[in-house]
Amino acid sequence: MSATVQHVVWTIRANPVTGVAAAGLAVLLVLAVFGPWLQPHDPLASNVSMALLPPSSQYWAGTDQLGRDIFSRLIAATRLDLAIAASAVSLSFLAGTFIGSIAGYMGGRLDRVVGSVVDVLMAFPLFVMAMALVAVLGNRVENIILATAFINLPFYIRFSRAEVNARRGLGWVEAARACGDSHLKIVLCSLVPNILPAMAIQVSLNLGWAILNAAGLSFLGLGITAPTAEWGIMVAEGARFILSGHWWLVAFPGAALMLTVLCFNLLGDGLRDILDPRMRT
Amino acid sequence: MRLHRRDYLRGAGGAALSALMAKHSNPAAAQSRANTLRHITGATISSLDPTFQGATRESLPLSVNIYDRLVSMGRRQGPHGFIFDADNLRGELAERIDRSSDGLTFTFHIREGATWHDGSPVEVQDIKWSLDRAVTARSFAKAQMAIGSQTSTDQFTVVGDRQLQIKLDRPNRLALLTLSVPFLPMFNSKLAQRHAGSDDPWAINWLKDNAAGGGAYSVESNRPGQQVVLRRNDRWKNGPDGALPFFQRIIIQTVPDVSARVSLVERGDADLTLDAAASDIPGIEQRGRARVLPITQTNAFQCVSFNVRTAPFDDVRVRKAVAAALPYDDMFTAAIFGRGQPLYGATWSEPPSPSVFQPMPNRTDLEKARELLREAGRGGGFRTTFSYPSSASATVDPMAALIKESLARLNIDVTVQKMPDAQFTTMLVERRLAMFFDFGTSWLTPSDYIASNFYSGPGRWNSSGWNNPEMPGLIEQARYETRQDAYDDTVMRMVRHIRDEVPVVLLWHPSHDAVVGRDIEGYTYWFHRGADYRDLRRA
Amino acid sequence: MRGIVRVSSRIAHRLLASLPALVGVLVFTFLLMRVLPGDPAVFFASSPTAGPEEIQQIRVSMGLDRSIPEQLVLYLRDVLTGNLGRSMSTGQPVATDLAQRLPASLELTLAALVLALACAIPLGVMAALRPGSAVDHGVRLLCSIGVCAPTFVCGLVLIYVFYVVLGIAPDPTGRIGAFDAPPPDITGLLLVDYALVGDFESWLSAVSQLILPAVTMALFVLAPLARMTRASMLIALGSDFIRTARSVGLPPFKVIVGYGLRNALLPIITITGVVFSTMLGANVLVEKVFAWPGVGSYALDALVSSDYAPVQGFVLLMAMIFVVVNLTIDTLYGFADPRVSLR
Repeated sequence: MSATVQHVVWTIRANPVTGVAAAGLAVLLVLAVFGPWLQPHDPLASNVSMALLPPSSQYWAGTDQLGRDIFSRLIAATRLDLAIAASAVSLSFLAGTFIGSIAGYMGGRLDRVVGSVVDVLMAFPLFVMAMALVAVLGNRVENIILATAFINLPFYIRFSRAEVNARRGLGWVEAARACGDSHLKIVLCSLVPNILPAMAIQVSLNLGWAILNAAGLSFLGLGITAPTAEWGIMVAEGARFILSGHWWLVAFPGAALMLTVLCFNLLGDGLRDILDPRMRT
Repeated sequence: MRLHRRDYLRGAGGAALSALMAKHSNPAAAQSRANTLRHITGATISSLDPTFQGATRESLPLSVNIYDRLVSMGRRQGPHGFIFDADNLRGELAERIDRSSDGLTFTFHIREGATWHDGSPVEVQDIKWSLDRAVTARSFAKAQMAIGSQTSTDQFTVVGDRQLQIKLDRPNRLALLTLSVPFLPMFNSKLAQRHAGSDDPWAINWLKDNAAGGGAYSVESNRPGQQVVLRRNDRWKNGPDGALPFFQRIIIQTVPDVSARVSLVERGDADLTLDAAASDIPGIEQRGRARVLPITQTNAFQCVSFNVRTAPFDDVRVRKAVAAALPYDDMFTAAIFGRGQPLYGATWSEPPSPSVFQPMPNRTDLEKARELLREAGRGGGFRTTFSYPSSASATVDPMAALIKESLARLNIDVTVQKMPDAQFTTMLVERRLAMFFDFGTSWLTPSDYIASNFYSGPGRWNSSGWNNPEMPGLIEQARYETRQDAYDDTVMRMVRHIRDEVPVVLLWHPSHDAVVGRDIEGYTYWFHRGADYRDLRRA
Repeated sequence: MRGIVRVSSRIAHRLLASLPALVGVLVFTFLLMRVLPGDPAVFFASSPTAGPEEIQQIRVSMGLDRSIPEQLVLYLRDVLTGNLGRSMSTGQPVATDLAQRLPASLELTLAALVLALACAIPLGVMAALRPGSAVDHGVRLLCSIGVCAPTFVCGLVLIYVFYVVLGIAPDPTGRIGAFDAPPPDITGLLLVDYALVGDFESWLSAVSQLILPAVTMALFVLAPLARMTRASMLIALGSDFIRTARSVGLPPFKVIVGYGLRNALLPIITITGVVFSTMLGANVLVEKVFAWPGVGSYALDALVSSDYAPVQGFVLLMAMIFVVVNLTIDTLYGFADPRVSLR
């Protein structure tokens, strides 16, 4: 155990960026959990007479078209954005790993069927697919999560299928089989834990991507609906004011998006260093 | 390769040649730029035939430049620019129109020497064919003609070399006016018939992509969804004083982003764009590089509409409560930046004017709203939705936030639903929305016409689904009423019904906000909300 | 000769094998469109006077009055004959629209790809030469930032800075300057066509229209390319032949580029292929921001108005490109490295 800690400490020291990213994530989590107590203003309360004020000591990130405090809205959006990304990714992770590892373990016809379904899904222009799904299901939060999860699914299936496939013939799997463990038990208790570290890296990188995806949907008007505070829709709303010089409407939510995704990506890299130094690219 | 290049130059024509050979500082290019109007639009022109079922809204104004109609509305100077004048009809392809004293017969005299784009003369048979097509073919014109009591080909008779008569069963106030809308283009019937088939006698398929008109401009090239180029028809003489339009060439280009459209005009790269975003306008005015024409669209409105067929908005008290709880002034300021003319906040108890479009006595009064809700037995509030199409985001995003906030004070929990346009329209037509944003434009401005489109009937534009038993009778009575005072009286009764039952809460006439280059003059706001290039000139 | 026959029969085999996937894509999209809650007939009958009668007429003309299985069979039959249906919003056959707009998307994607490769390969090589150094971390950070900036924010910022504030870039309104004549339709790729007719002034103006959107897209794909370059360079630089080349005193540039990079190219080609097909489908946002008349924005507009045929056509096109690109990469791979068999 202590060797692991030492390794983690060593990796972070060797690559301080990972430490910074971890700290950033911690800040984000604090904002997401304690947001409502940290917001200086009500993120939804309008005050038309205070509309479009530049950043000041009272409104740290300025106000928007309705005089709402952008800083408070940024904080309020943290929870929603992280929640969307986390639930979408866990959904596709759970479903994808399950399907993929079973297919990879069983092989044969099931594997071929799963393989060709994945091929079909991979051939789709995935972002357009997400747009279509949201359009079909209606743009509510749960549907945006579903759509994001769905377009991530093929990657997880493919990844876990390949990883499990590579291990199914190994000695310890044979041993478990000889002990009379059921196939399901072998997959869930022996194989899946074994591929988890590799999956964890994927998950971290994917979280960032999921956030971008949800924001992109909102930007096109197929995501979260105003007046909910969400970074993508804040950028979309702010984009209308770029020409008139109200840069803070786009700049702050845009930066929040970028920094969050950056955190997840750097963390994914760091995780890879810790878990599997050889894979580092 | 040589051959290619030559072909290409010949094909593109003289204007293209000069634009190509000499750009920036060359006088020839400057000349061509001066004679060319570049109009940037956000929309797609899907059909050159305005009557084609499925033609996008922007296809309609374009047709006015390509096709002449029998009659045309005039224009008058408003406070911020020219505006259409429905009281001042003039003949366009018709030189003269005689109206019989009983109002049942109109005789059109086709303009002497008028020609089609291919040079052939305009004949009375062309007019007959076009009118027959309007009442027969499967097109948007049919319903429009019915409003003017023109439903059968028997009503159109050729009575001379250049004369055609339209006969009505009874006098209709809209009979002539309806012929001036974009749905009534006059076609070169010989050309169109050459492309008609047995399964398509009215050449619907061919006319969609090809023009057979004689209007002020002909189509030089058309890349649907990207760009249309028009060239002036130098033989055209059907304008108000027979004069040719100023611009020799019009380039209409589609640019989806509204701010980018404005930028183009501001930098002098383009000359005209319509419907600028309200949020951009203060900046444009401040920089002063382009002119904003804040013409009030007196024939258009935006509103909050209720589905009056299902609970809770089937109860007039609930509708009135919401009407008393909407934050009008905040919406006016934040959503449209005060650009427009309010249709709320009046104080009258008896309508002051015989018009369906006038400020209604709706004001923000939360106390009154609470009381109305209590009376309706909904003092504890309820849950509902507020829906709008995603294309209206810029205006309605802020409105929705304000409405949600304001109604929360009455314990009404509003879920905001923004949906793709097609879905919104479908749900509206199927009456599956509860409370929603809507807007409308009435091409013709007589109140009976407005009421028939927006306050009665099963159509999409009676968005609330309101079904007042008296309204259809009142509308019919008004339409065939020849005495003005009786007409006004009927309209007043309609207005009272609308006030009493609040099927929709009128918000405001929006502002047209055309953005034009500083050297562009003569812009006119037309009822179809598009640009008529014949009006424009460069100073 | 026999080699070519073998390769082409393999290619044919691969194409045949991808048919089920294509049909799957087609059917799935078709069904997805049919459950869209918007009725296109209602949407396109929005004229002030249109009533139920007009709606029904449009429905019939779109074939929507038939049952869904019937529509599907008819659609599949049409697709087989190359007819992808008609778009309601542009009024044109979808195949025509796509043929007109695909070159725009291709040109943008290719330009972005070339740009990204031109930056990514040197960056990746630099990082691989000194793994763990400040340069390495710098490249890594740069890539991460590129991939993190949402493309629409990036695009908006670029427009604001270079067009609105500095006024260097041309207006973000599509592919050609408004007063330039379009070139004759030879390939549809403007840069190629202008070059072919020798109109270099227009060529330059087309390039200037292309730069901002291409940069926006390139930033986004910099990361995978640079990282793959770094990884495969690390492997290549660690191999025996590099050590040998170094030890015999060949100049460093020749060792790195001539031996190292050449051997590291294969994985880079693969990732380039993957990146290319993703970009082509994912540039909806960039096309939207820059008013680029490509297939992505076409599909988006169609989707919002429940215009079925264009969305279906778009998805099919993308799937076909996906198949072809994968095949090309595999074939290239097979030619480049005989050890890889093409199955």
